Amino acid sequence: MISHLFKLIWNKKKAHALLIIEIWASFMVLFGLLSLIVFNIRNYSQPLGFTYENVWAIGLQSNQDTVGIPQKAQRIFQRLKAYPEVASVSRASNNFPFSSSNMNTRVDHEKRHTMVEYYIVDAHFSNTLEMPLVAGRWYRGADSVGKFKPIVINQKASEELFENENPLGKIISKDKQVIGVVGNFKGKGEFMSNQPALFEQLDENNDWNKTMLVRVKPGTDAMFEAKVVKDLSAMQAGWSVEVDHLTDSRKTQHNLTLVPVIIALIVSGFLLVNVALGLFGILNLSIARRRGEIGLRRALGATGRGISTQFIGEIWVLATFALLIGLLFAVQFPLLDVFDLQRGIYVTAMLIAVGIIYGIVTLCALFPSRQAAMIQPAVALHEE
Amino acid sequence: MITLKNIEKVYRTTRIETLALTNINLSIAPGEFISIMGPSGCGKSTLLNLMGLLDEPSAGQVQIGGEVVTQYRDRELARLRNRKIGFIFQSFHLINDLSVIDNVEIPLLYRKGDAVGASRREMAREALEKVGLSNRMKHFPGQLSGGQKQRVAIARAIVGRPDIILADEPTGNLDSAMGNEIMNILQQLNAGGATIVMVTHDETMAKQTHRLIRLFDGALVGDSVLARTDD
Repeated sequence: MISHLFKLIWNKKKAHALLIIEIWASFMVLFGLLSLIVFNIRNYSQPLGFTYENVWAIGLQSNQDTVGIPQKAQRIFQRLKAYPEVASVSRASNNFPFSSSNMNTRVDHEKRHTMVEYYIVDAHFSNTLEMPLVAGRWYRGADSVGKFKPIVINQKASEELFENENPLGKIISKDKQVIGVVGNFKGKGEFMSNQPALFEQLDENNDWNKTMLVRVKPGTDAMFEAKVVKDLSAMQAGWSVEVDHLTDSRKTQHNLTLVPVIIALIVSGFLLVNVALGLFGILNLSIARRRGEIGLRRALGATGRGISTQFIGEIWVLATFALLIGLLFAVQFPLLDVFDLQRGIYVTAMLIAVGIIYGIVTLCALFPSRQAAMIQPAVALHEE
Repeated sequence: MITLKNIEKVYRTTRIETLALTNINLSIAPGEFISIMGPSGCGKSTLLNLMGLLDEPSAGQVQIGGEVVTQYRDRELARLRNRKIGFIFQSFHLINDLSVIDNVEIPLLYRKGDAVGASRREMAREALEKVGLSNRMKHFPGQLSGGQKQRVAIARAIVGRPDIILADEPTGNLDSAMGNEIMNILQQLNAGGATIVMVTHDETMAKQTHRLIRLFDGALVGDSVLARTDD
């Protein structure tokens, strides 16, 4: 029966061409959307590599003040540390977690090189963000006097630069020595893929990098936030002080990822509903036009259920033709490494898209095929 | 082979009832070639549909090969239609998107077990040879004449080697030469042992059968054994 259905559909391929194109287009849209969703879900399921609850980022702008900036920043650092509500403070570059700033650089080791997200942070950073180390240690203030700049990299950077070798003690880009390795570090939130990251020790005498990351004790409220802003503004007249809660910044980052996905999901949803309605209409029309054939098949031995199965089978064959063409296109993405995504993401998206397309066409065919099954053979033959 | 007892068929809508057949008692023996005649709307096709298990009587009993089929379910009726009955229609009812041999194969598709793959192909080829169309197997219905289409329909009716062939005005859409050709094939099939029931408007064709049933206003008004012209 399957070969019969293939023959029937193949012989009517011109009449079905538009339907095949419609299913193909739906598959391609679904495949694109699902690749994006699978990519984000996979990222989301991987650990962030740090904690952000009760962490505030205090942004300091010296504005017109240009004198003794590093010393003033250090005084603020010490002041923050002295509050009993504060558990830990760290100075960091502007690309702190969930911020909208990026800073990256290319690093190399022997003949291998990679782009890393480049963080300039002090010795307290890992403590403030509760980052577990998987090897070595985080740098200390005393490390700054050594021949090489002490750096900590994440495991992804280690894999890119050293594959399976032990990275500890290795020199990269001539002047940086790896002294520690952390696991994941997804600075832009859970939806970000785990990219290579490098943490370099902050120079306290530098004018830049004066964002203070403050871990407050649980239960600390907005009163304290207001007090901090007031105190710091009083300490350094003319400076602006801005407090961001990392939990809020995280939401903003998530929205940047989720909003386009949700829009694409809504647009694709409408497209799929249209395709489903189109298929439903075409099947209804097809059954109305093929009443004679239905009567004939019943006369020749088909049961009502057999007729129903035939119509579902036909739409499955049509979908199979469309999906084969679609898969031919889709498979190019993992083969040509388009968008540098893992192959598994594309394969998963393909499988889910195929499943959804078969599901939609089956749903669309169910009602018309049941109607076809109820057609009385004698009546249908007579109408013809 | 076919027995109809006290058959009544009423078509009901919400507003009207139409009595299509009333008090039909008829017995058809194996190997008979019967023609049914009567004016349009007298119930000929309805009677044929009841014999072919395409419709259910409002009252009465239908027996096919000794089996009382009145209470049969869809699956059992479909099996009986597939195994025991072959249909030939006035308008051929060929599927235009399938080749001649694929059309002929259709009844075998609904037969589980004994007709698969190559053997199905072989049976269809044999049926087409019987009607003299083995050279048109790959053609499509649109490429055939009316007579050839009806021969394909006959091949389809006999491919499953049924005991009974029901023909609803098989020569109705054909000229007399083509009609005679079809009639010859039916007579050959009957000579081979098939029981044939044919609805026709053509007295000449009817006279070539063994027995003539006449219907009028849904009632059986005549049942006569004919002197066979081919003897």
